[in-house]
Amino acid sequence: MEEILQNQTANEAGENFPIPVLSLHHISFAYDKTPVLKDLSFDFEKGKMYCIIGKSGAGKTTLLSLLSGLASPNTGDILFEGQSISKTDKYVFRSRDIGVVFQSFNLITKYTALENVVLSMDISGVKIADKKARAMALLQSVGLDEDEANRRVLLLSGGQQQRVAIARALSYNPSIILADEPTGNLDRETQGEIMEIFKGLANEGKCVILVSHSAEVAAMCDVRYELQKIQRKK
Amino acid sequence: MYIIKNALRSLSRAKGRNILIGIIALVIAVSSCLGLSIRQAAESAKQTALDGLSVTATISFDRAGTIGDIAKQGEPGSGNFDFSAFSEQMGETSALTLSEYLTYAACESVDNYYYTLTAYVNGTDGFSPVSDSESTGESSSTGGTFSGGGDSGGGNYGGVGGFGGGGMFGDVTTGDFTVVGYSSDLAMTDIISGNTQIQDGGAVFEEGTENYDCIISSELATTNGLAVGDTVLVCNPSAESETYTLTVVGIYASQSANDFSRSVFGTSQDPANEIYVSAAALQKMLDASAAVSTSTTDSSTGRTVESKMVGTLNFTYTFEDVKGYEAFEEEARTAGLSDSYVITSSDLSAYEESLSPLETLSNLAKWFLIIILAIGGVILVVLNIFNVRERKYEVGVLTAMGMKKWKVAAQFTCEILVITMIAVILGAGIGAVSSVPVTNALLQTQLTSADNKQAQIDESFGRGGNMGGGKMPGGAGGFSGGDFDTSNIPDNLPSDVSGGGFNMFDNMKDTMNDVKSKTVDYVTEVDSAMNLTVALEMILVGFFLTLVSSAASVLFIMRYDPLKILANRD
Repeated sequence: MEEILQNQTANEAGENFPIPVLSLHHISFAYDKTPVLKDLSFDFEKGKMYCIIGKSGAGKTTLLSLLSGLASPNTGDILFEGQSISKTDKYVFRSRDIGVVFQSFNLITKYTALENVVLSMDISGVKIADKKARAMALLQSVGLDEDEANRRVLLLSGGQQQRVAIARALSYNPSIILADEPTGNLDRETQGEIMEIFKGLANEGKCVILVSHSAEVAAMCDVRYELQKIQRKK
Repeated sequence: MYIIKNALRSLSRAKGRNILIGIIALVIAVSSCLGLSIRQAAESAKQTALDGLSVTATISFDRAGTIGDIAKQGEPGSGNFDFSAFSEQMGETSALTLSEYLTYAACESVDNYYYTLTAYVNGTDGFSPVSDSESTGESSSTGGTFSGGGDSGGGNYGGVGGFGGGGMFGDVTTGDFTVVGYSSDLAMTDIISGNTQIQDGGAVFEEGTENYDCIISSELATTNGLAVGDTVLVCNPSAESETYTLTVVGIYASQSANDFSRSVFGTSQDPANEIYVSAAALQKMLDASAAVSTSTTDSSTGRTVESKMVGTLNFTYTFEDVKGYEAFEEEARTAGLSDSYVITSSDLSAYEESLSPLETLSNLAKWFLIIILAIGGVILVVLNIFNVRERKYEVGVLTAMGMKKWKVAAQFTCEILVITMIAVILGAGIGAVSSVPVTNALLQTQLTSADNKQAQIDESFGRGGNMGGGKMPGGAGGFSGGDFDTSNIPDNLPSDVSGGGFNMFDNMKDTMNDVKSKTVDYVTEVDSAMNLTVALEMILVGFFLTLVSSAASVLFIMRYDPLKILANRD
């Protein structure tokens, strides 16, 4: 008998944005024949910061992959603004509607921080008058100076790369920000700064979904979804 | 647009890898440029030679074809070869008359024509031929005395056993002099080519004149103490009482006057003993000879021999270009030319022969190009597979960010295209500089090879480049005296002005000339090899290499799953 436990804890935040921007409808996912997620149904609204917590192997990163359109659920449906993302162009969805901050940042290391952000805008196809200026402004807004912005990503620290990844995710102004373990490799001070950035984004009206196993991160979020590992019978 | 920008940025950020691909592409580009340039040079040389080629053609009896047809029934020398059929065939079809030649000259494709009429005369007491001590055989006498027993300049020609031991030539009458009648200035090819120059007399005889005006060689003039305005008396070799008076209107000097090799066949074959007249004058002389001709019958063979002088006609057609020559064949056949005759062009043969080393080189270049493109293509494919695998993570990130796979593939292709095109430009530059010397060096190798081959052939023939000391194998031909029954030769062999079909003497003379020195003016150098065509072909090569090498990259990129790539990375 397999079982999944899902706990939902909601706080009062986000009451002004009741319409879900992203909804999971009874989704299940398995790698080959190994079930990872089973019958999940969540709603995500704009203006709130969500945290998906759970132990290692609970399927947090898998859920993030499903939400970002990198993987498709075996059953169930994911709706973006009421429309199933399985029926939309996932490349367009990934490049315009959702910004993802990967755990390992996934930046193009041979490019500078600025080039990474500009490239993201290029791929999205969103018409922006001065991409470089906007990219620089975004990088500065996440705490990088001009010198750091023009440095190759490989030469930046983990915290700086995390900021670049956030700036890249924000570059085309998506309505949803997904972040996988955004504070995992950061010191306490930087953690705080990054979380402040996410909080600010939520306050601006974006839907921020963080995936983390950190209780501190979870405590800072408006809504927490906890994934529990599916118990497999031996 | 960002795809190109991204491609250029990627190129500048991974110099080592791209330089390696670039070097491979450059080697392919230079090799391709050389291969294409050599082919282009061959094509240009061919076209240039063709443009400047004045194509001439002659109609001759198809001896080889006739012999071949008859030989199917029995090999010469085997006792089964039907010589009577051969002789009959020759007698029936070998003689094209002047009027027939002129009929074919009216064909639309013919640009112009000219002909020479050749006959033999003897000197008289006051007019003797230039006589080289080494060329005084009995052949200069009359009555079919090409006996083959003469001493041919110290060289060992082995008699004429190969051609029938004398029997074959029993009725061929030669003389002291060869009288060549020219139809027009155009026919005087030696003067046109500059081999022969009029030294005295100012001008050649008037075209078409029937006056017995002649031009003699400077040697002949010196030997006989003649000057312009003097007259000479010549006679029919078969009837000495039949004489003709010629007026010397000019004296020529010929480079071939020193060519003694032909004099072994008689003084008449010595270039110094050639007398130039107009064709009309010679025709008049032959007509006069025919009018007083007498017949004698050989009691042993029963054959009848006429005393009249016989002329040999050599008719040449000229064409504006090769197309005209090619069209002539069909037109002449339509006009009634029998299949027993062949139309040949020595110019075209020489032209084709002259290009043979370049053609061989061009052919080699083609295969070289194919091999280089195949091997180079495989190397580039392998390099690009390594490249795309090395950049797997980048592909994963780009597609995870929402860049469509085909756009990623386009970016990679663009990168290869830029590298290839830079290599093509550099390769074309290097190729342009080096193609001419490389082509000429390779051409020299081909020419050396051709020379060595010719030298080997010469050695096999025992010629060693000197006729006097060389050896002509005797009795080696198929027509041995025993095999060829001369009694089967019909009496009606060309007895009037005949075509060149069955003049064995002239044929043998030509053969000797061919054997002596088969020199071909090979194309030995090319001026330019690289041109716009090669440049365009190089661009095509660039696109070809890009397509081939990027095909593998594209396949890999389309198969990649970003989630798997990023998950493995994590």
